[in-house]
Amino acid sequence: MSSNVGKVVQVIGTVVDVEFPQENLPEIYNALELNVDGEKLVLEVEQHVGNNWARCLALGATEGVSRGLEVSDTGAPVSVPVGEASLGRIFNVLGDALDDLGDVKAKEKWPIHRPAPTFEQQSGSTEVLETGIKVFDLITPFAKGGKVGAYGGAGVGKTVIITELIRNIAQEHSGVSVFAGVGERSREGNDLWHEMKDYGVLDNTALVFGQMNEPPGTRARIALTGLTMAEYFREVGKQDVLLFVDNVYRYTLAGMEVSALLGRMPSAVGYQPTLATEMGDLQERITSTVDGSITSFQAVYVPADDYTDPGIVTTFGHLDASISLERSLAAQALFPAVDPLASSSRIMEPGIVGEEHYNTAREVQEVLQRFKDLQDVIAILGIEELSEEDREVVFRARKIQRFLTQPFHVGEVFTGIPGKYVKVEDTIKGFKEILSGQHDDLPEQAFYMIGTIDEAVEKAKTLKG
Amino acid sequence: MPNLRELRSRIRSIESTSRVTKALQMIAAAKMKKAQDKVLDGRAYSEKLNAIIGNVYQSNPEVFSSIPEDEKNKILVLLVTPDRGLCGALVSNILKEASKFIESIDDDYEVRVIGKKGTSFISKTVDNYESYKVSDMPTFEEVSPITNSISNDINLTGFAKVFIIYTEFVSTAVQKPKIKQLLPVEIDLNENEKVNNEFLYEPSLNKVSEALIPRYIETSIFNSILDSVASEHSARLVAMQNATDNANELKQDLTLDLNKARQQQVTSEILDIVGGALALEE
Repeated sequence: MSSNVGKVVQVIGTVVDVEFPQENLPEIYNALELNVDGEKLVLEVEQHVGNNWARCLALGATEGVSRGLEVSDTGAPVSVPVGEASLGRIFNVLGDALDDLGDVKAKEKWPIHRPAPTFEQQSGSTEVLETGIKVFDLITPFAKGGKVGAYGGAGVGKTVIITELIRNIAQEHSGVSVFAGVGERSREGNDLWHEMKDYGVLDNTALVFGQMNEPPGTRARIALTGLTMAEYFREVGKQDVLLFVDNVYRYTLAGMEVSALLGRMPSAVGYQPTLATEMGDLQERITSTVDGSITSFQAVYVPADDYTDPGIVTTFGHLDASISLERSLAAQALFPAVDPLASSSRIMEPGIVGEEHYNTAREVQEVLQRFKDLQDVIAILGIEELSEEDREVVFRARKIQRFLTQPFHVGEVFTGIPGKYVKVEDTIKGFKEILSGQHDDLPEQAFYMIGTIDEAVEKAKTLKG
Repeated sequence: MPNLRELRSRIRSIESTSRVTKALQMIAAAKMKKAQDKVLDGRAYSEKLNAIIGNVYQSNPEVFSSIPEDEKNKILVLLVTPDRGLCGALVSNILKEASKFIESIDDDYEVRVIGKKGTSFISKTVDNYESYKVSDMPTFEEVSPITNSISNDINLTGFAKVFIIYTEFVSTAVQKPKIKQLLPVEIDLNENEKVNNEFLYEPSLNKVSEALIPRYIETSIFNSILDSVASEHSARLVAMQNATDNANELKQDLTLDLNKARQQQVTSEILDIVGGALALEE
């Protein structure tokens, strides 16, 4: 291994060119190591640019790297510890433990670059996964082994939703979970570690972090590190794994940051020309196979609330269910600020969720759509000009909007309202009753921030005082 | 950021809405003046008539309860509404008042409706009704067949009580739904109006009141129609004024959004071109 040594010939920010002896050029994705003032820095080969140069991405800070430094080829891609030993621990992109619990005694290490499962390995079964959150269970039912994306601009509650899902699902779920923190606030990693400890799920969870304080190379690979750990449990452990990624967009963004430095011409809106390939490399590996499943929950940041942004559009196609978070709803304090008209799920069909669920969800969307259509009329002419039927629709829609809100367990410290877990049956029953007009006499506020519909009746009584 | 085409089409639709509301506002303004004048002109006469009725009532309350007790159990409700909407809360207010009132009646009742809005509402809630139509600018001649037939019905059927539900015109900004008891005559005499001098009736009190009561009924109905019409036009003027303002405001907001979105698109296109050109320069 140490026999193959090259020299740094050029450093452009986070991209480092290394010259190797002819015939000994390291393979693409191989990890190279160099020593910078006693600190180990790992580079990953991305391109062979000619002249026996390997263009590499630094998986760490490149301060102090100078031309002529010796670089040794490890002969393999970055490999990270997998298996039981990874549970309860926090890792960085290289698979080194970030906590103070000592060495990771892993029996195996897997490379972070791996092929996606083939067609015949993929599984086709669909089973609904209950989340206990009304709006998701009703509008965007999650599939076990499926991929869910939570889209939203800055500060509309993506991370809160991911943490609530961790609380609701990981706690109920007996198997293992992997959390990958990609380019988000590093404080959140600390918070999450403590929260997971409190919920008692830490011992079944592996956490990997490459947050916004890290260089782009790290952020572009951290998701793969987490994914590799999840894959091990799926393939070797034959388990059902939960994979949480917050935030997938940062993965794209990191790729964009290094793309031009690697010599690629920018494409639309400045994105890397390899945008779709990069996203495919990651997403295609997050799949359920005949061995086991990976159910993934991904937060996706939407820059400037623009859902037509190419970085966002490329992720849409990979997901089974997409949840759109809407700023205008967050501004009305309707949390979770999920837009029921823009959110969808692949398994929202009568054959899977059942007639009753399907019809209720569609009727809810119909009422909300009608309300949306009427909004201009209301804004101009006032609600008084609407016909009796339309007015009924408006009042019911407003009640539905409020009933779609729900207090979160993770938000309890902020709102002072204890979190609620609502079963799917109760959710459907509640919305059905509102649609049928059974609760037309209750005030709107009675539906706000509650669990089941029975609570609305109770709350209405206390509101009347 | 919504796309440009969507924003443009929304702005267009709001523009055309505001043109319609603006036109309706101007029509309402023209009609309102005439209708208001009519109401105010008519009030002098009806006030005098009410005073005379008050006098008669004072001297002999019995004349007003000439219908034998045993036949009186039916109630007649006359509901006066506009033909058209787009006049703010006026229609829903009067219909709310009417439905509340009709629900509270325990005895047998019949409903007479003037105006399309009331007709469509009543046809859904009450079986026993009859409807009439009046024009935008009713005259006494036009209304008299209606008032005559109602007053005939009152005489023939002998209703125990007759109510008119209409919108009272107070001012351009204020219109109140009102329930007026027409029969038996309910007159609250102001202290200072209480006349001390006793009138002598010629040929007799009964003869006078016989002629007076149908007149009173007709005038009251006609006045309530005039009030309703004036209220309708006033309410429409205010409602359309607000609607035009709202539409313009909405249009302004959307135009701002549109300009922002367009500028953003221009900027990102320039960035793309410049970026591409720079990358090729090497």
